[in-house]
Formats: sequence, C-alpha cells, structure tokens
Amino acid sequence: MSSIASAENTMKTSSFSLRRTALMVYAAAFYAFLYVPILLLVALSFNDSQITGLPFKAFTLRWYVQVFNSTDMLLAIGSSVVLGILSAFIATTLALLLALGFRHEFPLKGLLMKIILMPVLIPGIVGGVIYLIFFGYGQIPFGLWTTALPVHITWVLPFAFLTLFPRMHGLDRSLEEAAADLGARPSTVFFRIILPIIKPGVVATTMFAFTLSFDEFIRTLFAIGSQRTVPVHLWSLLSDQMAPFLPAVGVIIMMISMIVSLIGFSLSARSNNSIGSY
Amino acid sequence: MTTTNLRGILLVLPATVWLLVFSVAPVILLITMSFWTSSIFGTTTDFTLDNYRVILDDPIYFKVLAQTIRISATVTLISLIVSYPMAYFIATRPSATKALFLVLLFLPFWSSYVVRTFVWLPMLGRTGLVNTILMKLGIINAPLDWLLYNEGATHVALVYVYTLFMTLPIYLSLDKLDPKLIEAAADLGAGPWRTFRRVILPLSMPGVLSGCVMVFLLACGAYVTPQLLGGTSGIMFGNIIAPQYTVTNNWALGCALSVVLILVVSFCLIILGRKVRLNDVFIGG
Repeated sequence: MSSIASAENTMKTSSFSLRRTALMVYAAAFYAFLYVPILLLVALSFNDSQITGLPFKAFTLRWYVQVFNSTDMLLAIGSSVVLGILSAFIATTLALLLALGFRHEFPLKGLLMKIILMPVLIPGIVGGVIYLIFFGYGQIPFGLWTTALPVHITWVLPFAFLTLFPRMHGLDRSLEEAAADLGARPSTVFFRIILPIIKPGVVATTMFAFTLSFDEFIRTLFAIGSQRTVPVHLWSLLSDQMAPFLPAVGVIIMMISMIVSLIGFSLSARSNNSIGSY
Repeated sequence: MTTTNLRGILLVLPATVWLLVFSVAPVILLITMSFWTSSIFGTTTDFTLDNYRVILDDPIYFKVLAQTIRISATVTLISLIVSYPMAYFIATRPSATKALFLVLLFLPFWSSYVVRTFVWLPMLGRTGLVNTILMKLGIINAPLDWLLYNEGATHVALVYVYTLFMTLPIYLSLDKLDPKLIEAAADLGAGPWRTFRRVILPLSMPGVLSGCVMVFLLACGAYVTPQLLGGTSGIMFGNIIAPQYTVTNNWALGCALSVVLILVVSFCLIILGRKVRLNDVFIGG
C-alpha cells in the first residue's frame, strides 16, 4: 500500500518538522478528547461516593455488585445479548444472500439499492416513530421478540450488506467459473468455494451486526413496549435520576460492545489480507 | 443469461421482501397517517390537512426546526474542522502503526451513543471534571452552572458522538491518494499550503462530502443528546416529535412533523450533496 507519508518525507521544507510536531500534538489532543470522558466514567464507576462526580473519594466495587445483583439489569443484559445474536445472524444471512444476488444483473437494481439504504438515511427519531405507529396500527403486541427483533434486523441489515458487498464484489470470479465448468452445482460452488474465502468477513460482519444491535437505542425505545434492552434500561434510569451506580452500568455496556467489536475488527483485518492474497 | 438473472432475483428476494415490509411499509404508513385525524379518542382515518396547518401556524415548530438545522450545520462544520487534521494524521502514519491509530479512533465509538452522551454529565456537571480542574487551577472560585443544559453542551456532545463518521470517510479518501501527485506538486515548486489546497483537498473532497452528509443526517435526527444535555434552550426537532407519542398521543401530528423533518433533511442533503452520490457515502467513502 502506498501512503502519502513517503511523499511527505520527500518534501524537504524548513517548516517540515514543525508541521509534523504540530500534527502530533493535535492528534494527542484529539485522542484526549475521545478518551478523557471515557476514563472519567471508568474512574467514577469505582468511586465510593453517593453523587456521580468528583472528587474521587475511595475505591469501591459496590456499584458493580449492585448492578449485578439487580434482576432488572441482568434481565436487560440477557435480552440485549440474545436479541443481538438473533438479529446479527438473521440480518447477516439476509445480507449475504443480497450481496450474492448483487453480483448478477437484474431489473430495478438501482431502486433496490436505495431501499436498502433507507433505514440508514431516515433521521433517528423518525426511525423510532415509524415502528411505533406501524406495530401500533397493526395491533402487534410490543415486546422483545414480536417487535424489537424485526426492528433490529431491519436496522442492522443495510450495514451488514455494506460491509459484505465490497468483499463479494472484489472476489475473483474465475475460481467459481472453473468450479462450475468442472460441473459443480451452484450450491456446491457456494459452500466449497465462496464461503471458505469469505468466511472471516462473514464472521466479522456478524460481530459488527451484534454490536450495532446491542447499542441500538432510539428505534428500540419506541418499539419495545415495557421490556428492556441495556441501552433502554440505562435511559430509563437516567431519566429517573442520577443514581450513583450509573457509571458502572455505562462501563459494562461499553466493555461488552468494545470487546466484541475488537474481535470483529481483527477478524475483518485478517480477512482483508487473505482476500488480497487470492 | 436468463438463468443468471433469475438466480440474482431469487437471491435478493428474501431481503427485498423483508425491507418492503419493515422499512418501506412503515414509511408509507407514516406519510399516510400524517393526513389522518388524531383526537382524545385515538387516531381515525378521516382525511385532513390540519396537522400541516398546525405546523405552519404555530411558530414554535418553525423555530425549533430552524434551530435543529443550525445546530446540525454547526456540528457538521466543527466535526469537519476537528476531524480533517486527524484523518490526515492517520493517513500519513507508516503502515505498521496505522492499524493501531485506527483502532484507537474506533474504540470509543464501539459503544452505545447513550453511554457516549451520558459521559458528558460528569464531564460538565457542577462536580464534573471541567469544573474541578478549573477550580483547582484557581481560574474560578465556584463551579460554573452554565456548562450543562444548553445548546453548547448539545454541540460538544454531538461532535463527540458523531465525529467518527467525519474522520473515517476523509481518512479513506486521503489513504487512497497517490503520493506521486504530492511529489509532483513539490517538484514543480508548490509549497506545502499550495499542495494542500490545490492537490490534497480537492482529491479528498468526496470523503469530506460523505462525512458532512453523514454527520448532518445523524445530528438532525438527534433525540438523546439534546434531551439529556440540552435543557430547555437546546432542544431539537426530535424532542418535539417524541412527546406526540409519549405525552399527548397526537400520532397524526407526530407523523406530519416527521414528514416535515424528512423533507427538510432531504432538501438540505440535495443541496449539500449535489456532487456526492449517496451510494458513495457508504461504499468506500
């Protein structure tokens, strides 16, 4: 991969190192902007104080103990995890079929692309409202599996498609054509040729899909009725009052999404390399 | 050839049907219901233009809509200024450390924006980090009250929550840049500023536009951030749509307000993104 770094090195101007230092300082400030609030949240989650704020009085684990002893919280975590797994699998499967189909020509392809992007392009708040009226008007009982699950699948589907589509598009067709020429059926070509190549990408997509579902809030808020996912639970706690255990709740949510995403990211980086070598 | 076509159609069919039911149909219902009548007895299918008339008559809706667009535009601009040097920084790292800096950039965004918004309460609150530091430094004697629950807090948090969507597409377009072009500009005697303005910036324009479209769109649909941090003065359009469902039960008016928001956002995006094709926003930046 070429980078503009090498070109920068050839630009031997007197102010070069000054600009380089300025850029370094800027990057450090930017990362501080990103991480200071998060580190503060982590610190406060261990702060033995009734108010969510400074000064840091003493180290305690009691907020975590309190959170993990709360049935509501455990139920919300359980719901979020199962909802995330189910919607990730269903959405990735639908998106995979979609990406495979997009390698062929068919009528109204451009229109379909717009329909796929629609859930992403609708402003967040409207994305929540449409489900409230849709399921409300259809008299579907609101709940995790009746309404929140389809909402999450619909939300995750475009992103899963957009991560899978470039990989499918860059795939070398000659391997499949060779297999087909040798008499392999389409399903055999898929399971024996395509799937092994794209498998790391599909796994990574599934994990991204999980975190997208796990973190989704506004659509879920309007579609879930009286049940709770973790972000919705946190929101209802926040709207009530600033309880001292809230930073611990935030840290738990953050840890779950970050770990899953990090695994997904490394898998995805590896799959990019492997596709490149084909 | 026809069998290939058929196979393509069969493959896209499940997702297409799914999206028609759970994405297209709800939007059609939204538009339809905006012409229905809501009363204390519920919503009936009687056709009316009253919902739109209410929005036009009561200046509060126009005021909040204008405020929403102003806040979203400012947030987009701040994100652009803050993110561009950062994208440039990551794009110019040697490939060995590039992945690390990218992961560091992504990591905070891999968690719910409810949490990422919530962190600004202990940052800006009376006993928050900013007040504590300012007091320790002796710059102020008493904690500042005005850091939270206003437009300023909404701006800061929206930039914090959405800036990745600006940094990433700009990074992607800078990363694709051919270094030979920069060398050529330098060889021909262009200074760094001129090289940036005449070569780097124009070539990264697709990424800039994609980022602007994404951040503007996300900010316009904001509900959580202004609700939690904006107080009464910093409210946005999302905060007047939601109560139509949670408080007053005026579904039809809520639908009309939603349609107005979609129309205005689309209009802004058409102006802003005339040069950018929407597909490019998502695929490859």
